[in-house]
Amino acid sequence: MGRKHLITIFVIIGLAILWVPLVAAEEPVKVAILTDMSGPYAGICASNVEAVKMAIEDFGGMLLGKKIEFFYRDHHCKPDIANQRAKELYEREKVDIIIDVPNSAAGLAVSEQARLHKRLFISVGSGTTEHSGAKCHRYCFDWAYNDYMLATSVGLWGADNLGKRWYTITADYAWGHDLFKNFTAALKKKGGILLGNDNVALGTADFTPYLLKAKRAKPDVLVLLNAGKDANNATKQAVEFGLKKEMKIIHALIFVPSIRAVGPEIFADDYVAGAWYWKVDTPGAREFADRWLKKFGHRPNWMNPANYSATLQYLEAVKRAGTKDPEAVIKQLEGHTFRDLFASPGYIRAEDHMQVGKAYIFRAKKAKEIKIKDDCFEIVGTIPPEQAYMDPNKTGCKMGGF
Amino acid sequence: MTQYLITQLLNGLIVGSLYILLSIGLTIIFGMLGIVNFAHGALYMLGAYAAYTVVGVLSGNFLIAILVVPLAIGLIGAFLETTLLRRLYRVEPFYNLLLTFGLMLAIQDAVRIGYGPEGEPFNIPSALLGAVNLGITYYPKYRLFIFAITVLCSIGLIVFLEKTKLGSIIRAGTEDSDMVDALGIDISKIFTLVFGIGAALAGLAGVLAAPVQNVEPAMGMSFLVETFVVVVIGGMGSIIGSIIAGLIIGETLTIGVLIWPPMATTLIYVFMAIVLLIRPRGLFGRAEFLD
Amino acid sequence: MIMQPLMDKIREAPARYIVSILIILFILLPFLTPYTALASEMLIFALFAMAYDIVLGYSGMLSFGHAAFFGLGAYGTGIMLVHLKAPLFIAILVGVILSFIAAWPIGYLSIRRRGIYFAMVTLAFAQMFYFIAFKWTALTGGDDGLQRIPRPPVGPIRLESELTLYYFILIFVVASMLLGLRIVNSPFGKTLQAMRENENRAKSIGFNIGQFKLFAFVISAFFSGLAGSFYALLLNYVPLGSMHWANSGEVVMMTIVGGMGTLFGPMLGAVAVILLRDIIGAYTESWNLIMGILFMAAVLSFRRGILGFLKERL
Repeated sequence: MGRKHLITIFVIIGLAILWVPLVAAEEPVKVAILTDMSGPYAGICASNVEAVKMAIEDFGGMLLGKKIEFFYRDHHCKPDIANQRAKELYEREKVDIIIDVPNSAAGLAVSEQARLHKRLFISVGSGTTEHSGAKCHRYCFDWAYNDYMLATSVGLWGADNLGKRWYTITADYAWGHDLFKNFTAALKKKGGILLGNDNVALGTADFTPYLLKAKRAKPDVLVLLNAGKDANNATKQAVEFGLKKEMKIIHALIFVPSIRAVGPEIFADDYVAGAWYWKVDTPGAREFADRWLKKFGHRPNWMNPANYSATLQYLEAVKRAGTKDPEAVIKQLEGHTFRDLFASPGYIRAEDHMQVGKAYIFRAKKAKEIKIKDDCFEIVGTIPPEQAYMDPNKTGCKMGGF
Repeated sequence: MTQYLITQLLNGLIVGSLYILLSIGLTIIFGMLGIVNFAHGALYMLGAYAAYTVVGVLSGNFLIAILVVPLAIGLIGAFLETTLLRRLYRVEPFYNLLLTFGLMLAIQDAVRIGYGPEGEPFNIPSALLGAVNLGITYYPKYRLFIFAITVLCSIGLIVFLEKTKLGSIIRAGTEDSDMVDALGIDISKIFTLVFGIGAALAGLAGVLAAPVQNVEPAMGMSFLVETFVVVVIGGMGSIIGSIIAGLIIGETLTIGVLIWPPMATTLIYVFMAIVLLIRPRGLFGRAEFLD
Repeated sequence: MIMQPLMDKIREAPARYIVSILIILFILLPFLTPYTALASEMLIFALFAMAYDIVLGYSGMLSFGHAAFFGLGAYGTGIMLVHLKAPLFIAILVGVILSFIAAWPIGYLSIRRRGIYFAMVTLAFAQMFYFIAFKWTALTGGDDGLQRIPRPPVGPIRLESELTLYYFILIFVVASMLLGLRIVNSPFGKTLQAMRENENRAKSIGFNIGQFKLFAFVISAFFSGLAGSFYALLLNYVPLGSMHWANSGEVVMMTIVGGMGTLFGPMLGAVAVILLRDIIGAYTESWNLIMGILFMAAVLSFRRGILGFLKERL
């Protein structure tokens, strides 16, 4: 054992002593968004990537002394791909949180992966009430809206303002049925009658048989519980058969891209609920909308600031907790009231992890009423969160421990 | 009640019309070239988008679209046949099926990337707006127009095939393409023509559908499998079969949802399975196609 | 000096060597892929593609119904685990048996037709099963899929770790591959190949074509169901889409790209397609366009597939 050997050993031990704290030091905060960038909802959801990025930048880009890392993945609105991507993000990239995931089946799959990996998931895009209901758990939060809110708010408002005799056409799958259940409950509360319902297979191109049935029933309101291309087709054909002259139409979900897709004359004077609009008076909303216009050439839809808000509130919660440890952050989010450009105020319920805020009722404008680009909606009413969201004790959520 | 029923029946007729146009194209392609064209739905979609481009982007009118678009899609079809499909005639026919499958994916995605997934607006041309008084009921003018065009096309096609020289060559080629080749007629040109005609019919269906459906990249998908069903039931290679089966399927889908909603769409697959198992050549097909 | 006889050996008795090389590849796979769950997915679809080749490459039948068998395996196993809290091996067995049983009537009816008619019948059956899975929400979860599938332990071994699950699946896959090898080299396998080359001649020699095709179909369904079983375990979830006939389209791609009729080429095809899909799909939006073009290129000028290509090169 010569001197050389001794020196080598000391150097190695010295490096080891230095290395340990380097390795033991916390990894940076890693935020990921998993959304539909090339599937059926890409027109609305792909830009959410930008919203999350913006939130990170506006927050300052740094957290706990390190640069926040950002990941984005595309799940094409397919639940099996979402499942695998969630695994990839949680296991390989070791992200601390996944945000968004439109499509209810995909959202539920990712929620389960979050639960298994004990990391956070904030669902923005998927509307299923299960997130805050039977399938709730500590690691999952539901942001911005769910099917209950969509259906109930416009249901309550519609029954008061548009009429009490309704006919519904429902997309024949879990989401549609969920909406139908909530709509009819709201209708019943206001003493309305359901004249009839038709369940229509997803992807049906021809709605005329159902529309004719609806016409025959002579309702005050026709409710279209579908979205995307199905809603476009149904409404286009409703106009063609003159239904709009005899009744009002309420939609489950309509965004500006749909209006652009078929033209405003098709959706003119229809009603829908939403969580935000670029002209609301929430502080910061208009600036956000202007930045968006500059970046994309059009105004944001309400999914965009919803993702922004989810990201921002997560980062703020980590800051308050002083650590990115999931349990500590979750405790900071539960029961928290906040004000940001999306909701002012917004409140995160501890009982079911639902982020609640007020709901807006929109009327789609006629073509000649649209004076500024993308100003396609008029706000005709608001519903407070206590009515728009289900009583947290009735959701069926048994929020357990960690 | 009668008024309501008649209107529904008329609807079935119109839905059937689009299926007729699509399945005639598919069936002559199969009859003549032995290719199961999975890209047929994509050609239909291209027709609708071409119509949008003519009317929406280039501010042409609908009449121009009806005349020009089928021609354009027909030429695209001919181009695809000569550059791609032709190369696989020497190998087993199912390779061409796979080729058209890949083509369908590529075309659909290319349109989605180029135009966006939500779709493009396309309204009923003002000249065809409104309803016609048929005595028993009022019915949208435009839908009757679809029916009229389909009838015209079907008659025109049948006349072409029965009464013209080129038509008889095509009919002969459908029966026995080798023989036609041996007789000195350039069968490859006929193949291209037939594929082109099939594509043109799909394109025409697309133009006609654009005002009443959401023009979006996946619009052909919902029609594709049902078109196969029509072709199988009608009989591969038979135009009359396509027409009759198209009407049957159109009415089944429309009236079926009124009688038994949950099963309506699955019912046609059951029909197809039954036909395939009991009388595989369909209503009007020929037995030789079983191999 | 050593290479030449080795190469000759590979060319002459390819199946045994190919299987050995593949097994080595699969053992190392988790360390070659970006994340282990992806490797498991590759393994599962490799099994599915191998199963599919029995029907496509060996028997010359283009089936659009195999998604139903995959799906039955997945749902069968999933339902046993979620609703009946069954032990692991029972659940897998049920999934496989379900698929196997369904294959008999479907196969029996479909075999009576050939070519595109056969394909359409299988498509019709696949749609019917899809419809049942879609409607029977209480059992299958309907459109939401079957959620929260647990991974019960195997004795003392816990399967929550992705790596452990991978090697657990690998044992079964290797067993299937060896079984597949046996079948292919057996008189049954050779008869299938003879039938594929010239059905009329085989018939005139006296073989009962229908029976052979049916057996091939059912064996294929068996392995497809097994693959589906593992898929349920991997995802902790069964998506409704796994039953849809378009899912069969993907496995056809894998089979062609890998090398139709080689039984093990399609396994390579599955690995390649899934790897490509993961890399391309994560960042770009043009996955379908690229797949469509690649598929066309494969069909136009690469019909021998990866394995066929490799065989020729050596």
